Amino acid sequence: MGKTMIEKIMKRAAGKEVKVGDRVWCNIDLSTARDFGGANCVLQFEEVTEKKGKVWDPDKVAFTFDLQAPSHSEKVSVNQKIIREFAKQQGIKKVFDVNWGIGQHVLLEHGLVKPGDVILGTDSHMNLLGAVGAFATGVGNTDIVASWFEGTNWFRVPESMKVTVNGAFNKGVCMRDLLTDIVGTLGADGMFFMSVEFCGDTIEKASLADRITLCSMVTEMSGKVGLIMPNGKVLDWLVERAGKEVVDRVKTLSADPDAVYCQELEFNVDDLEPMTSCPDAPDNVKKVREVAGAHVDQVHIGSCSNGRFEDITAAFEVLKAANFKIAPGMRAIVTPATREVMLQCAEAGYIQKFLEAGVIFTNPTCALCTAEHYGTLPGGDVGMSTTNRNFIGKVGKGSHTYLASPMTAMATAVRGKVTDPRDILG
Amino acid sequence: MDKTILHGRAWVFNDDVDTDLIYHNKYLAETDPKKMPQYSFEYFPGKENFAKEVKEGDFVVAGTNFGCGSSREHAVYCLKYAGVPVILAESFSRIYYRNAINNGYPVLFVKGLSQAIKDGKIKDGDQLEVNLLKGEIKDVTNGNTFHGDAVADLEKDIMKAGGLIEYLKEKAAEKK
Repeated sequence: MGKTMIEKIMKRAAGKEVKVGDRVWCNIDLSTARDFGGANCVLQFEEVTEKKGKVWDPDKVAFTFDLQAPSHSEKVSVNQKIIREFAKQQGIKKVFDVNWGIGQHVLLEHGLVKPGDVILGTDSHMNLLGAVGAFATGVGNTDIVASWFEGTNWFRVPESMKVTVNGAFNKGVCMRDLLTDIVGTLGADGMFFMSVEFCGDTIEKASLADRITLCSMVTEMSGKVGLIMPNGKVLDWLVERAGKEVVDRVKTLSADPDAVYCQELEFNVDDLEPMTSCPDAPDNVKKVREVAGAHVDQVHIGSCSNGRFEDITAAFEVLKAANFKIAPGMRAIVTPATREVMLQCAEAGYIQKFLEAGVIFTNPTCALCTAEHYGTLPGGDVGMSTTNRNFIGKVGKGSHTYLASPMTAMATAVRGKVTDPRDILG
Repeated sequence: MDKTILHGRAWVFNDDVDTDLIYHNKYLAETDPKKMPQYSFEYFPGKENFAKEVKEGDFVVAGTNFGCGSSREHAVYCLKYAGVPVILAESFSRIYYRNAINNGYPVLFVKGLSQAIKDGKIKDGDQLEVNLLKGEIKDVTNGNTFHGDAVADLEKDIMKAGGLIEYLKEKAAEKK
């Protein structure tokens, strides 16, 4: 009987045969924490080891500062300092401070992620690294601290779901719309505890940015990880960053043709339309056309789900088609995922055009997903964003949010109300 | 006193309760678990007074996928240190489940709870009697009974040790 991707990954990490439902101890390739959760990990580690503990391998521990970057409060500044000092004392060199951007993306760009790696992080969207075939998962501080002892942690070998996607997106429609459609179809617990393999024509041709979008939202269906084995240009990009070992990993860890899945779904994107998650839940999905005209006060484009150069390019093209004008009174914010993406935007000339149009272009950060940095919404306001959750009050008590693609978000910024991007792109 | 049979009031929640509604992102910079209960459910419409009114021994009762969303362990600590002895839900989100087990904090998977909540068969303020050993939940106020499954396998051993760190320390001591 063939094996799924996650079974092969866990077999490698556990050093023994595994089957669905087993509890196994896996070796951890990278154990990471952010400015959020990081100080909690450090303080807990120091408490339980009476300040005598050493992390098992300083080269396999990393810190990323992204939630509140740069810090906006004394409390956060203190937390960030706790992490910096711990890293220094432990000899941990992989510290990506407040100037770098969103953690998983920064790790990926630095070649620290390979297919089959087991990666932990204090970020529920850590699993977007499945976009290059890594088993990454969000965990709490106790899991991180436990992994620092001997570089292992416990996992349940999950069931696997296979999602096959075929077809080509129409103009104005993109991977985010497919994903929103899937979330609406399956619901908030539609991938409960599962590993999800994405395959098919559309996936094989998809950019890394699109694969990241897809894998990031597995969390919103309560899945464990979404996995895509790198191929084509994505494989070339990854080999360049992470080394030739990537090629062997792809060969040995790809799913067998006769692997067994608990569920197999097929989607075709040929006739897909722009989709949106309406307030106040990611699985409250409608076609953009059905809610077009609804008032929106603020638009956010960015986040770990849709903050890459391709995403910002897509938004830029919509703004360009509207002669670089946003609606009067609209607050539009664009946030690149990382410094590398920000540099790409600078080089392409986007930043100047965004600023001239009155769009706020920020440093790379996760801050727009919280109510505790900038861009917080007051009660009663309605936002549209390319982030991944829209539960009531997430970015400000009593506020509501639509989730949509970068194109739909920018079209909405242009018109000041929910707008199908095809109305602007023609 | 027999700790396997617990008595307390129910605080009832729906399906898919997200971690931002249990413990909002606004308070993530807190690093002391014992200070976290004051923020519990502050952003949950209709449950804003939970932190002020919750009494030691009260139960949190929910439908499916409790604790979906963020990885923040704050969302477990804020209930544990508020004195909620066990969370009863039809099912728990993956990371929330791990965080609870890793802290030796009991969670019960209770069949039929989601529908019972929708049908009003278990309501806010109901008096519950929870038998942890049998996994039996009696709603004393209206007489309904539910059955819960305790965790299995490795999770049981981690719970028995009092949490993941304690479990690993026991294992390390055994090796010596």
